[in-house]
Amino acid sequence: MKTALKYLAASIAFIVAIAPVYWLITISLKREVDQFAYPPQWAGFVVTLEHYKEAFGSSSFSAYFLNSVLLAGISTSAALLIGVPAAYGLARFEWPANWGDRIGDWILSTRMLPPIVTIVPLFLMLREARLLNSLVGLSIVYTAFNLPFVVWMMRGFFDEVPREIEEAAMLDGESRVGALLRIVLPLVKPGLAATAVFCLVVAWNEFLFALILTQTEAAMTLPVGIASRVTQYEIKWGAMSAAGVVAMLPVLVFASAAQKYLVRGLSLGAVKG
Amino acid sequence: MPLELTGITKKFGSREAVSGVSLRAEDGEFVVLLGPSGCGKSTLLRIIAGLEISDAGSIRLAGADVTQREARDRDIAMVFQSYALYPHMNIAQNIGYPLRVRKRPPAEIDAEVKNVAARLGLTSLLANLPRQLSGGERQRVALARAIIRRPKAFLMDEPLSNLDARLRVEMRAELKHLQHELRIVTIYVTHDQAEAMTLAHRIAVMRDGKIQQFDTPSNVYHRPANTFVAQFVGSPSMNLIEKPDGILGVRPEDVQLSQVEQPDWSPARVYVTEEMGNETIVIISDGSTNITARAPAGMKLDFDARIWYRFRPEKLHWFDPSTRSRRIE
Amino acid sequence: MKRRVPEGFWWVLPALVVLVSLSIYPLIYSVKLSLSNPGNFSRLFSDRLFAAAGVQTIVLTAAALTVEFLLGLALAVLIDSLARGRAFFRTGLLVPMLLPPVVAAVAWRLIYNPQFGMLNGMLRQIGFNTEWLTWTSGQNSALASVILVDVWEWTPFLFLLLSAGLQAIPPEPLEAARIDGAGAWRIFRDVTLPLLKPTILLALLLRAMDLVRIFDQIFILTQGGPGTATETVSLYIYRTAFRFSNFGYAAAMSFVLLAATMLFSRGLMRVMRSR
Repeated sequence: MKTALKYLAASIAFIVAIAPVYWLITISLKREVDQFAYPPQWAGFVVTLEHYKEAFGSSSFSAYFLNSVLLAGISTSAALLIGVPAAYGLARFEWPANWGDRIGDWILSTRMLPPIVTIVPLFLMLREARLLNSLVGLSIVYTAFNLPFVVWMMRGFFDEVPREIEEAAMLDGESRVGALLRIVLPLVKPGLAATAVFCLVVAWNEFLFALILTQTEAAMTLPVGIASRVTQYEIKWGAMSAAGVVAMLPVLVFASAAQKYLVRGLSLGAVKG
Repeated sequence: MPLELTGITKKFGSREAVSGVSLRAEDGEFVVLLGPSGCGKSTLLRIIAGLEISDAGSIRLAGADVTQREARDRDIAMVFQSYALYPHMNIAQNIGYPLRVRKRPPAEIDAEVKNVAARLGLTSLLANLPRQLSGGERQRVALARAIIRRPKAFLMDEPLSNLDARLRVEMRAELKHLQHELRIVTIYVTHDQAEAMTLAHRIAVMRDGKIQQFDTPSNVYHRPANTFVAQFVGSPSMNLIEKPDGILGVRPEDVQLSQVEQPDWSPARVYVTEEMGNETIVIISDGSTNITARAPAGMKLDFDARIWYRFRPEKLHWFDPSTRSRRIE
Repeated sequence: MKRRVPEGFWWVLPALVVLVSLSIYPLIYSVKLSLSNPGNFSRLFSDRLFAAAGVQTIVLTAAALTVEFLLGLALAVLIDSLARGRAFFRTGLLVPMLLPPVVAAVAWRLIYNPQFGMLNGMLRQIGFNTEWLTWTSGQNSALASVILVDVWEWTPFLFLLLSAGLQAIPPEPLEAARIDGAGAWRIFRDVTLPLLKPTILLALLLRAMDLVRIFDQIFILTQGGPGTATETVSLYIYRTAFRFSNFGYAAAMSFVLLAATMLFSRGLMRVMRSR
């Protein structure tokens, strides 16, 4: 009896978690007349793809989508390119007077800066450098955003690889860099992949920086594009929810891929998930 | 309080971890469940504790059927291999916990804790945390927690295996003394046959979920019920030699060696010797089989030297080749 | 062989350069901005809107954190105790947290719409009078509605962390407590919770840090309104900087926010170091 109640409670929680998302999906597939019909229709309505066509055909959502994809890809690659060697440097070399940990902590603390603190100067700085409303400008900012996370995560993964393995390789004639590339990285591949996924998701979901640093249609990302529709007078819910559904799909896919490391990533490595 | 198990069976998936086990431990008896890893001894212990429920069979403690009862209602105490102390409580709180749960008055708990601590030499450690204690000390705390409420039975799951060799031997003696004083029926699990031999009133040798033999250490040693028991108990292991009319078992100490030819003794060559200090283990080869023997310390034997051997006629064990069981004389 | 510079330094250098120029330099710039008008900091004390924003932020943080923690803990214990289907439930429960916050906010705007939204629709179906249920458009209910969305979105975060913490607890002390005679509630109180404390602390600090700077959802749901009913500090700073173009004052305010975050992050570092 107690078990049945438990499963009931779990199911209710499950439904509460999924319902709003499901509802959004139905709105994106319903005809306009049905969207706000009473009583609310959960199933059995006429399915239409017109909103998707509109959002990604005539509206600029496909441009936003492309921007988000490029942005996520570029900033993640850059963050990995700079962050992985940094993490390796912190994990593997001898540092006098605990400097290694201190630098690591400092890097992590920049992650905790509220974006709103740096956003005003960044806005002004980018404006001066004529990098507002550009993919480049935003990529640079996102890279800085993701960098501490990459360093912290990868350092943890590097720490788990025993030093002896590289030492053996170097005795065999391998260089430091070679050891990293050919021996260590293959060993931390799953961790690397998870870190990359996290960075992609963060960049994809990011809103505040994109909002302020891109104001033109050409440069907007998906979240900003969606938000800009919301503040308009007449909200086209169909197109917007279609965009929303498309916006959430990559994340859900990615998240399930990186599930194993979800806890570690979210808690900045403090809890081994 | 006697402890009686009847037909206990437990399956995990398709594998039967415990298979129709029955035994009766008398009041105050020290019973050891002995066997290799995977033989089901720990599972059996957990079933007795109530941490797992058996698929079939019954457990009776002091005459009452406790088979379906929750662990906390069985009045049994357990000492875990990893001690399982509460890491965030100090030693005094750890020991006193069973009484706190039973809502005994704090003054009484305090007195009992001091009492038990004194008995096990823990008085000076009462304010410390488990992580500040050594392995042996933690072991004693686990024991203290077990004895404080005078349960009807003790269960111990390889409590000594995390200690270093010397400490293990010391604690063995302490345990035996303590159990004798308390006279509470004890079920003790181990894979170490020396431990079993020294501690038990009776040993239950287990393999693949079944009891192979349940008898006194002496009988298990001198009259093993089958080849498994014969080879598991006693170190170095009993020699088992396939003969045309059965399997012959001879313990190394019952193999007599002579460097001079003797009438009716068989010839062999020395394969390898291991000098232990107080004695020498000699492995000889008669051409087809190796035989392990014990020789006195002084005996000087070279590799491949000629040697003669004989089995003490009154110390032969015969086993049936198909059932591997002891042949009844 | 003495090296003046540790070999690892060269590996770390590029990252340090990026961070200094994009995190530290802007910070210093921010200081300059806020000091450009010396009245900025004293204005903080007399600014009623800032005080109101502060209060709203604190209320939101405290309320959301409490509910998310209790719900998250209950869910963690519940799901952990299920014999089968754990992975299934867990996957579903994590969905709210994985969405882009903007998308979640959009979904809830749809749900909250007083005339056509799904929530009032469903309530009307069971017979409630939804005339007074204005959710995000109502002066008195807006903040609570926003809190509800955050709870929906981020309880999974606490659930996940606390779940991992629960699984990291060694089973032996729990079994020992069972044998010592403790019932389920006692075991939870005496053994599980104390051992869970570090994880709880970590989860609360992480979430608090994110809550004080909350922006995305509120922006979409209410834009800070109606009026300033849901204007948190982040939103006020945004408005000051990008509507009124008062960069100096916005910078000054953001330092207050920074101070609050630093408090939490200090605590966080301490908890992480001690593990």
